[in-house]
Amino acid sequence: MSTSFSRARRRNMGIAATAVAFVVFILPFLFTFLMAVKTKKEAALFLFSWPSEWHFWANLTEVIKARNYMLLLAYFNSTVITVAAVAGLVVFGAMVGYVLQRRPSGWNRVIYAGVLMGLMVPPAVVPTIWVLQGLGLFKTIHGMVLIQVAYGLAFSVLLYRSFIGTIPRDLDEAAIIDGAKPLAIFFKVILPLLKPVTVTLIVVQSIAIFNDFTNPLYYLPGKDNVTVQLTLFNFQSQFQSQFNLLFMNILLVTIPPLLVFIFFNRQIVAGMTAGAVKG
Amino acid sequence: MTASSSSVVLKNLAKSFGAVDIIKGIDLVIEPGEFCVFVGPSGCGKSTLLRLISGLEEATSGTIEIAGRVVTDAEPSERGIAMVFQSYALYPHLTVRQNIGFGLSLAKRPKAEIEAKVQAAASVLQLGPLLDRKPKALSGGQRQRVAIGRAMVRDPAVFLLDEPLSNLDAALRAQMRIELTDLHKKLGATMIYVTHDQVEAMTMADKIVVLNAGRIEQVGSPMELYNHPVSPFVAGFIGSPKMNLITGPAAAALGCTTYGIRPEHLDLSTTEGQWQGRIRHVERLGAESVLYLQTEAMGELVIRLPGQDCPAPGSIAFVTPRAGRSFRF
Amino acid sequence: MTRRRSPYPYWFVLPAAVVFVTLFLVPTVASLWFSLTRWDLFEAHFIGLDNYRQFFKEPFLVQGLVNTLIYAVLTSGTKSVLGLLLAVLLTSGILWQGFLRSVVFFPVLVSTIGVGITFAALMHPTKGAINVALAYVGIDGPAWLSDPGLALYSVAFIDLWKGVGLATLIYIAGLAAISPDYYEAARIDGATRVQQFWRVTVPLVRPATVTVVTLSLIGGLRSFDIIWATTKGGPGFASDVLASVIYKQYQAGFYGLATAGNVILFALIAIIILPLTWWFNKREVDL
Repeated sequence: MSTSFSRARRRNMGIAATAVAFVVFILPFLFTFLMAVKTKKEAALFLFSWPSEWHFWANLTEVIKARNYMLLLAYFNSTVITVAAVAGLVVFGAMVGYVLQRRPSGWNRVIYAGVLMGLMVPPAVVPTIWVLQGLGLFKTIHGMVLIQVAYGLAFSVLLYRSFIGTIPRDLDEAAIIDGAKPLAIFFKVILPLLKPVTVTLIVVQSIAIFNDFTNPLYYLPGKDNVTVQLTLFNFQSQFQSQFNLLFMNILLVTIPPLLVFIFFNRQIVAGMTAGAVKG
Repeated sequence: MTASSSSVVLKNLAKSFGAVDIIKGIDLVIEPGEFCVFVGPSGCGKSTLLRLISGLEEATSGTIEIAGRVVTDAEPSERGIAMVFQSYALYPHLTVRQNIGFGLSLAKRPKAEIEAKVQAAASVLQLGPLLDRKPKALSGGQRQRVAIGRAMVRDPAVFLLDEPLSNLDAALRAQMRIELTDLHKKLGATMIYVTHDQVEAMTMADKIVVLNAGRIEQVGSPMELYNHPVSPFVAGFIGSPKMNLITGPAAAALGCTTYGIRPEHLDLSTTEGQWQGRIRHVERLGAESVLYLQTEAMGELVIRLPGQDCPAPGSIAFVTPRAGRSFRF
Repeated sequence: MTRRRSPYPYWFVLPAAVVFVTLFLVPTVASLWFSLTRWDLFEAHFIGLDNYRQFFKEPFLVQGLVNTLIYAVLTSGTKSVLGLLLAVLLTSGILWQGFLRSVVFFPVLVSTIGVGITFAALMHPTKGAINVALAYVGIDGPAWLSDPGLALYSVAFIDLWKGVGLATLIYIAGLAAISPDYYEAARIDGATRVQQFWRVTVPLVRPATVTVVTLSLIGGLRSFDIIWATTKGGPGFASDVLASVIYKQYQAGFYGLATAGNVILFALIAIIILPLTWWFNKREVDL
């Protein structure tokens, strides 16, 4: 459809769209930033104004020091959970997608049923807590990691399955003739070739897990294993009168996805639109 | 590079996928050092037969012996075979050196041994300067040679080649035919080569196995198949242009169900001959010309003449089969 | 004859299967039982369908159910329509198109809690930037998040703001898959721009529509964190949805009731999504 608008009209529409996008999408972020660098008193006014005093570093150090450096612990926990869960999603998901694509059998229907459930069914939270307690995993980082793996597997399997379909079987067979055993075929031939989709999966799932609020709320309560989103949520009630610190916290939580977005834009788009065309 | 050459013996080998019989009981002996070509139209089972020998497919019944050892149930890597795939199947993430040495490194051979073997293969195949490249950076012919190199370092008893030239352009294909024949001589290894191209079969094979619908039609040297085809199928498949095959009342009048005569074995005359007809079309190739003659008695006949002098389309001509060159099936 | 082992062994599925079955499937199946009990995580007393009866009798629980439906349909519908329009705009070659795509998409990647807190401030009835701006043009802005009649819709708007970028992105991919030949053929046939949109774009972008509608409906029905970060279901129960009701019951220690809520949510999603998927697939065969 790109050909029939005139050049001038495309320019004018672009300028108009940018103006609207600025008000709708950029101003809220600008507001967050301005709140984060204001003084406590000024922030409490909620005004959309330039800060009279620039309190960036003061607010930053204060929010980090708050409640005995809780934010640092939260970042540490969230990072551990994200890295471990994503690693699990990559390896486990790719293994399932591989067998699913390469070995047609009656079991595939069972696996697909599981995938469909994983995408659709809301987790039964209280029974999950009951299971986690039974396994001694409730309120633990390990438990949280496994939960994120369990909840993200369906997406991971689907993504890998469709990509593995594009890798010629001849490669597996060449490796078989070269004497590779199943594990060697998978880890030395297939997994390296999955790199593009693995990068996509890592980026998309990292953001999802890092931003996850609901699951840590249920499965990781308590002060010892706080995550970034939980800390932010809890600060909301603690910093009732310190909106500058609250918004500094929001700013800090927003920066990691922003960096990932800048560097991995293409992979994010690939991951988010997987399946959009085929339906 | 001395590959030990070995025999391959297939006994009553069969393969079905579900209810479909792809290979229907094949008995075949391939002698040590032989260049054996499986040829046939697509769907005849030639690739499946090769995959049965490689172990990538499991036989439904029958046995496979390689170098005197029954390997019917052995893993592909334990059969003493190496395979060159139609797509080459080079590992895209590995360099040429790593591709060729992949099997050896899986077998945990010492680094020095791997390097020596890779170098040896590379020098035979003139891949030396390309060893650190990835497959993406190679031409079709170079990829082909890497695939062969990967097969060579396994010191296989038998090389299996699955339509290895079909992804190359015509000129390169002709060149690779000669290179492969030279390589076969140099290595002295047993090679089994699958193709649908009868030219490749004729030019390279010691022994051709013509397959049709999962069965062997005929086994023999290229000239045996050309001179003494046992069936209309083989007669029509070997030789280009295709042999004229006449069926129906015209063949019955000559005392057979199918009468065959090769285009190069029909003598043309403008004055007299056994069959009269009108020239419908002429293809001039320079060194030779191909005529399509519409006859009353035999239907359309294809005639191959040396040189460029031949009657114009539309004119009347006569043809006579050369004595002793016709076939009655 | 001994069968050789496949190069694709089933045990490759095992690590994933163990995690999935233990932490997803077992709780899901167990929820069917626990929803029929009065339960304190240690002992469960069978009480039949009492939990379900309560769910459909208590007005605030019923409201949660209704709100869930309103919220899901509203967010899914607006995301689909706006997403398609934005996608068409952002593939028409306008100035700064790439930048605009990024701007529309970025909120998808941002912390929901952060977005919730920011909008709670922007929507503050007296100090919030939205109402301050409205006051400039002489409009007395409402209490977006604390007016019981408005809260649910305000939260749905925030959800739309955050999620429309994903719908746009999916539609852009869908539009890219339509061959330009169709538009050229339509133009030669004399179709106007609007006709092209209805006769070419809308039917041919269907796979993307299926994805957007399905994803956003499931997301909308399960929605929790954006509501919890802004209104906590309030004021009163005005913006409560099933997911927030479940959390409240869980917090209050009514584990059986919370689990019954979970089962109802599951059933609601199944009742809506399965026929929808079936219908989408059926239409696909007709094409």
